[in-house]
Amino acid sequence: MVLDIIVMIKQVPDAEEIFIDPVKFTLNRSQARGVINPADENALEAALMIKDKTPAKITVITMGPPAAESALLECMGRGADRGILITDRAFAAADTYATSLTLAAAVKKIGRFDLILAGESTTDSGTGHVGPGVAEFMQADQVTYSTSVKIEGDTIIAERELEHGIEVVQTPMPALVTMLINANIPRRSSLRRRIDAMRKGIETMDHESLGLPPEWVGIKGSPTIVGSLKIPEEKKRLNKTITLEEIPEMVKELIENKAIVLGDDEDA
Amino acid sequence: MMKMRELINCVVPENLDEYRDVFVYIEHSDGHIKKSTLEMLGEGKKLAKKTDEKLVGVAVGEELTPIAKEAEEYGCDIFLGTESPDLKDFASVPYTNYLAEMIEDYKPNIFLMSGTREGRDLVSRIAIRVMTGVAADCIELDIVENTKILSAWRPSFGDKTIDQILCRKHRPQTITSRPGSYKVAEKQPGNKCDIKIKKVTVPEAMKKRKILSFRPKDRLDLTSAKKIVSGGLGLGKPEGFELIRNLADELNAEVGASRPVVDLGWIPYEHQVGQTGQTVRAKLYIAAGISGKIQHTVGMINSENIVSINNDPEAEIAKVSDYFIKADLYDAIPKIIEEVQKYKNGKAVVGESPEKAA
Repeated sequence: MVLDIIVMIKQVPDAEEIFIDPVKFTLNRSQARGVINPADENALEAALMIKDKTPAKITVITMGPPAAESALLECMGRGADRGILITDRAFAAADTYATSLTLAAAVKKIGRFDLILAGESTTDSGTGHVGPGVAEFMQADQVTYSTSVKIEGDTIIAERELEHGIEVVQTPMPALVTMLINANIPRRSSLRRRIDAMRKGIETMDHESLGLPPEWVGIKGSPTIVGSLKIPEEKKRLNKTITLEEIPEMVKELIENKAIVLGDDEDA
Repeated sequence: MMKMRELINCVVPENLDEYRDVFVYIEHSDGHIKKSTLEMLGEGKKLAKKTDEKLVGVAVGEELTPIAKEAEEYGCDIFLGTESPDLKDFASVPYTNYLAEMIEDYKPNIFLMSGTREGRDLVSRIAIRVMTGVAADCIELDIVENTKILSAWRPSFGDKTIDQILCRKHRPQTITSRPGSYKVAEKQPGNKCDIKIKKVTVPEAMKKRKILSFRPKDRLDLTSAKKIVSGGLGLGKPEGFELIRNLADELNAEVGASRPVVDLGWIPYEHQVGQTGQTVRAKLYIAAGISGKIQHTVGMINSENIVSINNDPEAEIAKVSDYFIKADLYDAIPKIIEEVQKYKNGKAVVGESPEKAA
C-alpha cells in the first residue's frame, strides 16, 4: 500500500529581507523574497521522513499568487511527487474560514489522503487556524503542535509539545498533523529533482475547477473583515549611549524604574 | 470513499437577535480554572456589562462541579458543562463536538477563548462547525458603541499596526486572546451562578485517539517573562552564554537568544526571540552582542526598558534601546553584575548617588 500524504504550505516574505522604511518607519515587505513558511518546511520534512521508510506519494498544495509556484518546485526538488497551486484572483483577502474551505475543496478534488501535514502557523499571520479548519471539513482527527510523527499500521503516533509537557498520541488515519517550527532539519533540494520538477510542471486549480462559487471564497466568503487599524504609539526610547563608567548610573535608574527588582517577590 | 462534511461557505444566520450573552471557554486542570481563562472571565464580564448580557462559562471534562463553583466565584451568571469520564483528557474531536453542541443550543452572541495551545487547537474547528469567523490572538476587546458587535483588536505582522477585526453577520463572534494581555477576573463574593452540567456517553467513534504517554516538561515561556537577558553572535563562542546566564541569574531573568546563535546550535530554539521565535514584552530586556536586525527586534520591541551592549557604535540595536552600552560585553556584563550585587548586599542604596554608593 502506498500512503497518500498531502502537505499544505504557504509562501511568506523572507524574514531576513524585511526592513523598516527609513522615512515612514513602516515594515517594507514588498522587496522581500518569497520563501516557504518555516514551519511548513518542517511539515514537508516530516512527510519526507515517512516516505524514507514507507512507500508514499507526497502532494504539496499551496494557495497563493502565481509566484508561489517556486515554493512548490522547491518542495518537489526535496522529494515531493506532485505540486498543486491553488490560485485565483477571487481567493484574495480570504480569512481562515474561506482559506480552510478552499484548501478542503482541493483535498476533495485530489480525491484521497491518509495524512495531511501542515506547519503549525505562518510567520506572516500566525493564526494557526487553517490546519484545524481543514481537519474539521475533512472530519479527520488533528494532532497540533507536533514535533515528530510516525506511521504505525493504519494509525499515526505523534509527539505534541504543550505548555507543561510532551504528550504522545496515537490516532487512526486519515488524520491531519500540524508541525512546530524547528521540529526537524529540512533537507536540501537536489538539482536533479528540481530539473525533473520543472519538466513535470505543477498543476493549478481555481474556484471553478474546485467547484466553489466565487462568493464562497476570498473576501466575499470570509465572515471576518478588518474594520480599521491603528498604529501603536512607538514607545519613546531614552536612546542614551553610555560607556562602562556610566553603568552604575544606569543600574541605579533601572532599579528606580523597577526594571531591576532586588529580591524575588515581584512575580509571586 | 473519503468522508467529509459538506463543503459550504459560512452561512449567515437568519435572526442575529436570537444570539445573546457572552460565552467563555473554561480551561481547567487539577480541578481549578487556568489563569489564562481567568483573564477571559474578567474580560467577558466587562463585555457582558456593556451589552447588558450574561456571562456564561462553558467547560468539558470529567468532574466539573468544582470548576462550576470557581466560575461562580469569578462572576459567571451561568455555567454550562458537559461531563463524562471519557472527557478527562483533552482531545480535539469530542471537545469540538460538545462545545459546538452547547453553542448551537444556547446561541451566544460572543465566544471568548484564551489563545493557549488547547484554545488554538479548538477554536477554528468549532468556528467552522458552527459557521462563524474567528479573530486570533487579540490583545484588546470592546463593543462597538450602541451595538452588540465585538471590536476585536489584534496585532498585525510585526506589531506595526493593530487591526480591528469585525464579524458582523455571523454568530457567535469568536476570538482567541493572547494570554497575559488582560487582567485576571476579580472574585465576586456572593455571586450566584445557575449551574447546568450534562452527563454524556461519548460515542466509540470519538474515542479512537489514545494518549500513550505524557512527560512533564515546562516549556520555556519567554512571552510572559518579566526580565530577559539575550545573547547574540557578539558572544563569539557558545560558552559566552555562561556569562549571559550569570547576569540572568543575578536579575532573576530568563535567557533569550537571537536566531543566528540558535541556528549555530549554541543554545536551544526555545530561547529564540524574534519573528521566527517568541515575541516578548518584558519589563527589562537586555540584548548583548545582538546587532538588531528587524527579525530580532520585532520580537522584543514592546519591552518596557531595553538595554543593549555592543562594541559596534553603528549597531542598529542602538536605535531601539533606552541604554546602549558601547563596550565589549565581556567587560560590561561583569560590571552590571557587580553593581546589582552592591545593592543586594546593601553596599549601595537606592536614592543615593552611585558614586557615593561605590
